[in-house]
Amino acid sequence: MARTRTTKKLAQRIDLNYFKRPTRFKRARLWLSILLPLLALMWIAERTISKDSRVYSSGRMSGAHAVLETQCAACHVQQAGVFSAHAADSACLACHDGPAHHPVGAVGRKELGCAECHAEHRGRVNIKAASNQACATCHSDLRASGGASNYASNIRSFEDGHPEFAAVRKSSNGMAVAPGTIQLNHAIHMKPIRRGPTGPIVQLDCADCHRPTAVTPPTEYSDASYVGAKVTYTAMTADRFFHLASGVKPSLPQRHPASGRELMAPVKFANACGGCHLLTFDKRFDFGVPHDEPEVVRTFMVKKFQEYIAAHPEALREHRDPDRDLAEKAPAPEFRVLTPAQWVAERTGDAEELLWRKTCSQCHILSTIEAHPAPVAPWLRLPTDSKFELKPLPDIVPSLTRLQWMPHAKFDHDAHTGFTCVSCHEKALTSITSSDVLIPGIATCKQCHAPGPDHAESRCFECHTYHDWSKRKEITPKFTLPALQTGGR
Amino acid sequence: MHIDRTQRGWAFTSLAILAVSGAVYTLYALEAPQGPRGGSTVGLVFGSVGFGFMIFAALLGARKRVPVWRIGRAQAWMRGHLWLGFLALPIIFFHGGFRFGGTLTQILMWLLIVTVGSGVFGAVLQNYLPRIMTQDVPLETIYDEIGNVRKLLREEADRAVESVCGPLGFTKTKSEEELRAGGFTAMRPMTAATSGGAAVAAAAEIVVLSEEESAPLRRFYLNEMRPFLERPRERRLVLAQADKSQLAFSAVRTLMPAAAHAALDDLQDICDEARQLQKQERLHRWLHGWLLVHIPLSLALILLGAVHAVMALRY
Repeated sequence: MARTRTTKKLAQRIDLNYFKRPTRFKRARLWLSILLPLLALMWIAERTISKDSRVYSSGRMSGAHAVLETQCAACHVQQAGVFSAHAADSACLACHDGPAHHPVGAVGRKELGCAECHAEHRGRVNIKAASNQACATCHSDLRASGGASNYASNIRSFEDGHPEFAAVRKSSNGMAVAPGTIQLNHAIHMKPIRRGPTGPIVQLDCADCHRPTAVTPPTEYSDASYVGAKVTYTAMTADRFFHLASGVKPSLPQRHPASGRELMAPVKFANACGGCHLLTFDKRFDFGVPHDEPEVVRTFMVKKFQEYIAAHPEALREHRDPDRDLAEKAPAPEFRVLTPAQWVAERTGDAEELLWRKTCSQCHILSTIEAHPAPVAPWLRLPTDSKFELKPLPDIVPSLTRLQWMPHAKFDHDAHTGFTCVSCHEKALTSITSSDVLIPGIATCKQCHAPGPDHAESRCFECHTYHDWSKRKEITPKFTLPALQTGGR
Repeated sequence: MHIDRTQRGWAFTSLAILAVSGAVYTLYALEAPQGPRGGSTVGLVFGSVGFGFMIFAALLGARKRVPVWRIGRAQAWMRGHLWLGFLALPIIFFHGGFRFGGTLTQILMWLLIVTVGSGVFGAVLQNYLPRIMTQDVPLETIYDEIGNVRKLLREEADRAVESVCGPLGFTKTKSEEELRAGGFTAMRPMTAATSGGAAVAAAAEIVVLSEEESAPLRRFYLNEMRPFLERPRERRLVLAQADKSQLAFSAVRTLMPAAAHAALDDLQDICDEARQLQKQERLHRWLHGWLLVHIPLSLALILLGAVHAVMALRY
């Protein structure tokens, strides 16, 4: 017969006090439940006794502060009698006594704390790299304390809300106009062009004229006599001009001095133009006038003519050229004799006419030249003629060459050295007037500078500076190497 | 606890909490100047809620220890433990901005992940294994008593074999005299009734075969069955597997006279029960083994979480 079971019989084999007996499983659970929390507690106690607060760190320090990984108290300064030990701005300023963020204009906003933009304990990151959100806290809704803001007031990131660069932005007439007054046709200069009146055909390259300030200027199209010459004028760049006019600094100074390779130096006549554009003033001389103020030019020419007439007194007797007589005018005398002073004045006047009206005017704007009457041919002049008096010198309009096209941002040509100039400045190939703005617009920058691993940095700090580093103070060092290595323990 | 439709309320509430928390976190993460941080207001709220959920989940242990407490139904506590404990993980991720932070917070994060993970694992097991247990282990007994029942089965098997083969020479233990085994041959008077209260069921019709006739059974019992009853975890034993066991008993049955077949049936039945107990043990270890991880880690998590809360507020 098979075995049979009833509930009663099954129950009879159970020890009714079974639950009082500890089993292996219950014992293991109990001991583990005691030991593990105890172990955790002992670990915390051990860290506390050894005064190692690193365990409470919310993350690794940034690269710049990695050396302070064991120095919690360097930033987390505890006040006497207070449990809290939050990192204070004063701790940051003890090492970085940099100036505060540029004034916070929003109503009701106090000065920004360091940690509001520079978050620590986020791993080995660049702590200087403030997040876009940090900037957007104010700049996404910029409300100036005085009412309206001079700046775009809804910028959230380079991709979102950032306006077109001011220099490229079109004005009310639908054009972006460059402030420079030098009349230059880029398109002609970028095509094969004759080098000087009798020179060969050459193909210019951008770098033949444009070089960073720290780079030795190009010599291919320079004129040695002008390169070494001292000039009396001060180049008036647009940056300086607008700064003098408005009193507003174009941008905050950088923390580290510029290398001189960031911006392109203003193009100088001596380095880039003198090789082709001769400043000849009279056929008697095979050299040109200095590239300088009109007074200097006139003084130079008078001196040269005086020297010439002293060496060639026969030149004072001038014969009439019949081929140049005007039909409606009565024939002039066969010859005329001038005094040296008259001869010098007349030659100087003629040379100035050539310079002011043609040679200089080809590139510069001369303000008062139009006010003077047209010159009279030499053989029509009489020795007593007032034409021998020299005319007032013209005013040359400042060139207003722009060194920094984006005054509120920093740009580094050196970082873009791998790209051809026209890949960004594409308008240079077709620009025929100097009023054209040839710097690229924001769309060009956005081709590379965009979020994501496949693009160049596009966060605000890449171009903008927040602190006025000209106001930085020197700090007194307080750390020692042994203390840093042991964590002060 | 079986997760079924009766928990829809908890499920929907938890999903709603998760969805709202996720939406709040997304907005906060997009707008936060420094990205999501545990120390920000939103981060602290997430941290407090998450830690609250953890504490509630941990209180289930206390609630179980004092079942007479009239603080909600045990079922509600268990459901709260399951759903809120599970929610604690995403909420704490929101708190930390999905960053694991420094040493302590990394440990806390991993403790939380393992604790919640083991809890989910346990919940899944408890959802399925009881059904398997009911189906595959109809002779299920109290887990803590399995060792004792197995001993009784062994003694019962001894008696069954002795009823055919004569004494085997095993000495009776004290417990063998006092405890009773549940399996017995129904139509046979229990020898226990005549042996001073011994509980081992034995065959009434004692048909002792000759040594030669009983040799196959004796050999089979001593070489195969008793080792199996003594060491059921040895899987290499033939009787540990049902199909092989069936073949083995069939083979012995053909060698034994019909008078011994009743005892053989009993022995086969005992083997089957022993195998079921073995399976019950195995299922039980799966069903409750995760608690060896879950409970100690959750206690350490609560303890270190409290330390973290205090020290994070300080720094």
